[in-house]
Amino acid sequence: MTSVDALSARQIAAGIAAGEFSATEVARAALDAIASRDNQTRAFLQVSEDLALTAAARTDAARAAGEALPPLAGVPVAFKDNMNLLGTRTTCASRMLESYESAYTATCVQRMLDAGATPLGKLNMDEFAFGSTTDSSAFHPSNNPWDIACVPGGSSGGSAAAVAAGEVTIALGSDTGGSIRQPASLCGVVGMKPTYGAVSRYGVVAFGSSLDQAGPLGRRVEDVALAMNALTAGGRDPCDSTSRHCEQDFLAHLDDPIEGRTVGIIPALLQADGLAPEVRVATQAAATQLADAGAHIVEVDLPNMANSISAYYVLASCEAFSNLARFDGVRYGYQEPGCATLAEQSSLSRAHGFGPEAKRRQMLGAYLLSSGVYERYYLAAQKVRTLITRDYQQAFAQADVLLMPVSPTVAWPHGAISDPAALYLADVYTISNNIAGNCGISVPVCLGADSELPIGVQLQGPAFADARLLTFARALERACQMEGAVAPSFAGRGGELR
Amino acid sequence: MRKLSEVLRDWEAVIGLEVHTELTTLETKMFCGCRISHDDEPNANVCPVCLGLPGALPVPNERAIESIVMAGLATNCEVMRRSMFYRKHYFYPDMAKNFQTTQGPVAFVMHGHLDLEVPADRADERPTWASVAADGATPIERAADGSYVAPIRILRIHMEEDAAKMVHVGGAEGRIGGATESLIDYNRCGTPLIELVTEPDLRTPEEARLFMEKLRETFLALGISDCSLEHGSMRCDGNVSLRRRGESSLGTKSELKNLNSFKSLHDALAYEICRQAEVLEAGGVVLQETRHWEPSRRRTVVMRVKETADDYRFFPDPDLAPFDLTDEFVERCRARMPELPDAKRERFASQWGLTRRDAGRLAGDPDLARLFEGAAAQLRPQEVPTLANVLINLAPSFGALTMLQLVSITELLFRDALTFAQAREVLGIVNGTDQMPIVVAGDRGLLQSTDTDALGAIVDEVLARCTDQARQYRDGNRKVLGFLVGQCMRASEGAGNPKLFNQLLVERLG
Repeated sequence: MTSVDALSARQIAAGIAAGEFSATEVARAALDAIASRDNQTRAFLQVSEDLALTAAARTDAARAAGEALPPLAGVPVAFKDNMNLLGTRTTCASRMLESYESAYTATCVQRMLDAGATPLGKLNMDEFAFGSTTDSSAFHPSNNPWDIACVPGGSSGGSAAAVAAGEVTIALGSDTGGSIRQPASLCGVVGMKPTYGAVSRYGVVAFGSSLDQAGPLGRRVEDVALAMNALTAGGRDPCDSTSRHCEQDFLAHLDDPIEGRTVGIIPALLQADGLAPEVRVATQAAATQLADAGAHIVEVDLPNMANSISAYYVLASCEAFSNLARFDGVRYGYQEPGCATLAEQSSLSRAHGFGPEAKRRQMLGAYLLSSGVYERYYLAAQKVRTLITRDYQQAFAQADVLLMPVSPTVAWPHGAISDPAALYLADVYTISNNIAGNCGISVPVCLGADSELPIGVQLQGPAFADARLLTFARALERACQMEGAVAPSFAGRGGELR
Repeated sequence: MRKLSEVLRDWEAVIGLEVHTELTTLETKMFCGCRISHDDEPNANVCPVCLGLPGALPVPNERAIESIVMAGLATNCEVMRRSMFYRKHYFYPDMAKNFQTTQGPVAFVMHGHLDLEVPADRADERPTWASVAADGATPIERAADGSYVAPIRILRIHMEEDAAKMVHVGGAEGRIGGATESLIDYNRCGTPLIELVTEPDLRTPEEARLFMEKLRETFLALGISDCSLEHGSMRCDGNVSLRRRGESSLGTKSELKNLNSFKSLHDALAYEICRQAEVLEAGGVVLQETRHWEPSRRRTVVMRVKETADDYRFFPDPDLAPFDLTDEFVERCRARMPELPDAKRERFASQWGLTRRDAGRLAGDPDLARLFEGAAAQLRPQEVPTLANVLINLAPSFGALTMLQLVSITELLFRDALTFAQAREVLGIVNGTDQMPIVVAGDRGLLQSTDTDALGAIVDEVLARCTDQARQYRDGNRKVLGFLVGQCMRASEGAGNPKLFNQLLVERLG
């Protein structure tokens, strides 16, 4: 008897192909794991049992018909609830979209399905992806599988928690300022934010259109690489004019040696106030491990990084205001009953449909875009964006990848940080990557010496060097003891495969 | 209120136009693959993108960008090598995303001009003292007949998406206020729209009307829109302000809406100029407001007063990368452009010896021009002016004449085998059929004989009978000739050519 959580995506697909177990048995095992674990993690907003069993049956039928199975055949996956999937609601964890039925399927979701994955459902998040705790979900918080008193991080907290607890093999999240990498770090899983444009945004409910990027979370770098193969298969998406062709086999160079290649570290970042000592130690240890594997460690600088948070909260709030303007309760979503005028209906639907953080960001954006203010903030932030992008270009001229923390701390107890500005400041290590449109990945390296909670370190690469990033991530993974780790209190609980 | 001609003696009217044109000839909408057709069932041509559903993204229609570049080239605009789309925010359900995707400070094409040729019979609204164009430099010289040319600068033409159509039920005048129900048809939502903004260079309502006519002819020739003012695929707002003769600062303008015909455009501007003059002459101030033209009552009424500028929170659309238009792209657009009405007019005039006015009438309507050139190719050169006459003065009454029918009727008229009135009768019969005029005219006995021998016999017979009248003519009463021609026509039962009868009578009586 093995639990489905012990298997990698490749092992599941291979097991189905070899007839060791069927896709339907894998789907039932995943449903069982969810049933026995999700009451603790509360990672899911919807479990799509029918969709899962239908997809699994199709995989089994294909195998029975002697067809070659796709690379993710029967692999249990789930999606952040800002991704449209026909047959499910897409709520963005908001009252505003509580009963909104997806009218179509997002490209990134469809590509996972096309690769044979079995869709288990939709995952919790901060409302409209505004946050880094998942506590701002309008429905319920999610819990960190390593300590359910703690937050899983966010905004893709449900995605990270579901993977860390072994409820699914791979989850998709979205990352506007760290929303894949930070929860991955806090939950001890691998989380990748691909290069802006590498994965289609079509069908992912927009937060900050120039910053948003969907990407995979898994318990192994290999699983994440397999997901990247699926997400980029077929090349650029004609439905997203900012997407680019970057189809390639991300497994091909996964185990390439990193000997003689360079890893840049930014000393100033490691001396920053607020960086927990155990995170600093873990990051330095990761540098040592990469050096032991033959990489050269070089010191580089990102001088404008100090301005990244200010620039980010201007740009992201402006775009969020604009993107969320469509939610007015007229044609779909929450509609305030009994209003006399259109203006009253729109205002009250928005007042009662959105939670406090969603309103805060939109009000900030509405202010920043107003005439007279726009010039001082938005245009200034765009200049900072140019400077940060240039900093990165110079840094990547010296180093193949950069190494830095993901989150200044490990996971914290629910409610421990209530000041929004304090939460914004914790995004310092992840944000500039979105601003520059580069790729980044969080790799779990250890449990904190003080907290005994997972710590991830971050690797960042230049735009469209996603395969290179995965090579370094794999090198780090090999050197650590976290590969495939399921949070101990969940491992093997339910989800047995025959 | 004083008359326009009096007002324009003392005041200078400063007029600018904003013209919206839907690119109706394109297959698909601006940012999605939905069909452009307003006639279908409501909400038949919609998708997640034009409905603004969560997660949907725009993908620009390259054909629409070709169309706007062609519009720019045809109006002497500069093609901007880098421009981008902006979002313009306002909360109203006719725009599914609550923002309109439009352009910012840099439009696809900018800084153009059209030279407006104002013919003599439409030139008298412009006061004689207004002798310099709005650029402050170009003199406006009048030809002997009073016609003149005024250069009208074009600020920009930008691309945007059209809104949905809303119908408010149960409220007053179809407005949303007081309505019990509002219906939204998103078929139109996302239709590519180009907005042309002129500099305030027009000085008379007639110039504004001519400008619109010329623009419509140009866009029709380019084939980028059906340009229907009536159905709203071409819509025009007029901005007008007054200033005292000789002043250089601008007065407060009002913006006129509902100008859905050339006549409305002219009449609304004329009314508004006179209204503003009355206000100013009484010591009042013109308010900056949007006014609605009521054609039935021939007046403008206030729609809304603009106290503060609307804040649309413009910013670059992050879903759409900036456009870098290459030389190759621009040249491809240029190569696709057909001959424009001005060039066509000059060619028609010189190639076929038409008057510029007739040539202009034919060149201004692409369908008419096509028919003209097709028929002309089948005629002898000397017959072509007759063809122009047929197309301008006869054909418009009949909707469905074929090119062969036009060729046939032209030949008959050219050799005086039919009178103009008879030609009209024949065309009434053949219109919408495949019958040929020459056959119908023959069957009906309408064909006038030009056989001089046969007609000469009739003339001799008439002169033998009407000896009194013949004598009167010889005594100097030339008027009696008409009576004699009439007698000849009667004797020939209308089959003889009156011109020939006339000629033969004069010969014999001379």
